[in-house]
Amino acid sequence: MSMFSFDLHKRKILTVFLLLLFVWSLLGVKWQDGVIHASGVGTASEIFMAMFTPELSANILALAFESSWITLAYATAGMSLALVLGLVFGILASGVLATRKSSRTFLKGSFRGLLGFMRAIHELVWAWLFVASFGLSPYAAIFALAIPYGGILGRIFADMINDVPKEPIQALQAAGASKLQCLFYGYLPSVKNSMISYTMYRYECAIRSSAIMSFVGLGGLGYQIQLSLDDLNYDEVWTFMYFLTIIVVLIDGWSSLLRKRMAK
Amino acid sequence: MKKRKFNFMWFSFYAFLLLIGASWYFVIGVEKASLTELFSNENMEYASKFFKGLLGVGEEEIAFLNQESWSDAFTLSIETLQMSIMAIGFSTIVMFLTVIPAARNVADGSMTLSKKWYRWFVFGLIRISYIFSRAIPELVWAMIVIFIFKPGILPGAIALALHNFGILGKLCAEVIEDTDSRPIRNLASSGANPAQILMYGVFPTVLPKFLTYILYRWEVIMRTTIVVGFVGAGGLGQQFKLSMSFFHYTEITLLLICYLILVFIADYISEKSRYFVK
Amino acid sequence: MSKKNIIELNQISKNYERKIALSSLSFVVEKGETIALIGPSGAGKTTLLNMLASNFEPSSGEIFIDGRPLSQLTDRKKRAKKIGIIRQQFDLVGQLAVIHNVLAGRLADWGLGKSLLNLFIPQERQAATQALTRVGLPDKMYERTSNLSGGEQQRVALARLLMQKPEIILADEPVASLDPSRAEDILEMLTKIAKEEQQTVIASLHSVEYARKYFSRLIALKNGELFFDLPADQVTNKQLQELYQLKELK
Repeated sequence: MSMFSFDLHKRKILTVFLLLLFVWSLLGVKWQDGVIHASGVGTASEIFMAMFTPELSANILALAFESSWITLAYATAGMSLALVLGLVFGILASGVLATRKSSRTFLKGSFRGLLGFMRAIHELVWAWLFVASFGLSPYAAIFALAIPYGGILGRIFADMINDVPKEPIQALQAAGASKLQCLFYGYLPSVKNSMISYTMYRYECAIRSSAIMSFVGLGGLGYQIQLSLDDLNYDEVWTFMYFLTIIVVLIDGWSSLLRKRMAK
Repeated sequence: MKKRKFNFMWFSFYAFLLLIGASWYFVIGVEKASLTELFSNENMEYASKFFKGLLGVGEEEIAFLNQESWSDAFTLSIETLQMSIMAIGFSTIVMFLTVIPAARNVADGSMTLSKKWYRWFVFGLIRISYIFSRAIPELVWAMIVIFIFKPGILPGAIALALHNFGILGKLCAEVIEDTDSRPIRNLASSGANPAQILMYGVFPTVLPKFLTYILYRWEVIMRTTIVVGFVGAGGLGQQFKLSMSFFHYTEITLLLICYLILVFIADYISEKSRYFVK
Repeated sequence: MSKKNIIELNQISKNYERKIALSSLSFVVEKGETIALIGPSGAGKTTLLNMLASNFEPSSGEIFIDGRPLSQLTDRKKRAKKIGIIRQQFDLVGQLAVIHNVLAGRLADWGLGKSLLNLFIPQERQAATQALTRVGLPDKMYERTSNLSGGEQQRVALARLLMQKPEIILADEPVASLDPSRAEDILEMLTKIAKEEQQTVIASLHSVEYARKYFSRLIALKNGELFFDLPADQVTNKQLQELYQLKELK
């Protein structure tokens, strides 16, 4: 009886703990000095009002289309690399290709560690590292996207593969299939749909990441937003933001459609 | 029926191949990005100088061997941690306030078993705000917020929260949409009113999943704090930018180490809490 | 160790931490026999079959397959040629088309290249069609396996065994999740095919009527021990009653 009530209380304890944590975090702000800029409110309303009057001149629109394409291209190229990395490392990290238990633990451990490192660092930090060491090149953006996204995809793919029910796999093994044959006949068909679904979701995130990648100087919507903000042209800023939103919504919509069709 | 489904899937598949091909062609053909150029002698020299700088080779003051630097970095890390907790706190609050009307089965009345005309309107409004919130990257929110708030961790937290409440809202609304409606209908037929249905039927089921998503977003926020810091929103990121501009590379290494430690801690706590609540 | 005996068990025991699953089990099986393994739940039928399938080793005793110790048959592909197994849960990959699940029976003979090619362009389609026709599903070749009913899926599993052509077929409660008419269909098919291909069958069943109807020899296990081992027509009702009797509560 007492065990049962501790379980119930577990959640309440956790909630209280989290609330306390949140309050503690608020203490980090020097509230008494005032948090808003002198002209803050004015700027805020200016920026807000500009939302309704995005700049629609031919120049800006052309710039917006061009930057949108650059953002999309970098995101797609980076994602395609990430998919390859994710598949290869993910399959290795799931351990299904190892024969003995000892080699499997080693394989899983080292590749999961590698994937963890790849995804720990934010893509912008990777971008900055690449630009600082290799200079401005589209490859900086592409690799900066491919590495962390490859890490995320790989980790999720490995988890998906490990979650596949083992009976059909055992049956394949009993029919004489080798490890690689099991991979292609058993594991991959079972996770194919989930993999596609998750990759589409990450692709949408990649587009946003690609947009901010441009802050490092690599052309694209983020770069344009930064320029326009520096010039205080809020109308232009909103134009670019709308374009970004539209691309994201389009990819998101395509992704949902695809997922619905696959679930049938 | 099967024919049509296959057509869409194949169409998508080819469309993607086309997109991928076009993107790479653009990068290699049009922009003439060259991989070999990347690894040219000049670049390699530059790169190795950079890496040596990071490792502190040939420098006099090596930041990550200096105790004072470590304590400074520690303070910054704590600040960053606070920023991340604030951010997820704000996101969660906004999510809780908006998530219920944002669920389809609440909007069409099947959840509360009562129909109100304005529900769809509220649903649409909230969903649009979610889309907007998550389409705009945190960095962009940060750049805007910096204009309004004084520098510190508050603008960073607000920027992160602005981006994440949309993501959290969408994920949690989907959880509500996926809940089994049968216990709900049962409660309703025993005479519970809409508020009671929510309390007894909905919350107990959805809260654990909410927690999972909240922890997951906190992990992601932890990684992104460094990025909003770039534009002046405090914490490790802001110092990162400063060290960058002064070319104090060893400081950067120190900051990166602290950053990685924070990220691993966040991942670890997130995993453990999941076990704890299960 | 006569060459005619395809399976020989010698004093097999299997112990787990707190349970003796099998103790001192011995019997021999000749090629081409159809044997039904019966007994109450927990008697050790599944343990015995899993051991014959090399899923684990006995705690003591020896198993000989075709004159050689089972423990030496480590090459998975060679083992697949000797022993095939079909279970209650069909164990097919739901997302694959039926033809691929059937052709998976040939994976023991195919190299990686041919296996991969098969996923895109089905190889040995003739053989697969024949197998599917023999189990009565010629028109389901390109359907997604998870769309088929339980009885149909079990028939696909049988078709896979036809492609695999093992010398021994082990069946672990193959019809437990099927309704009576489907169950009898499957058992009839299984034993008929085994006779045609001269394969040996050992099937565990919990229905004694099916056991008597379709199999020539009954081996009964109770509490991990051999209760009786007789030709089907010599088993008396009294023996069956004793077999399934629950222990009296004191």
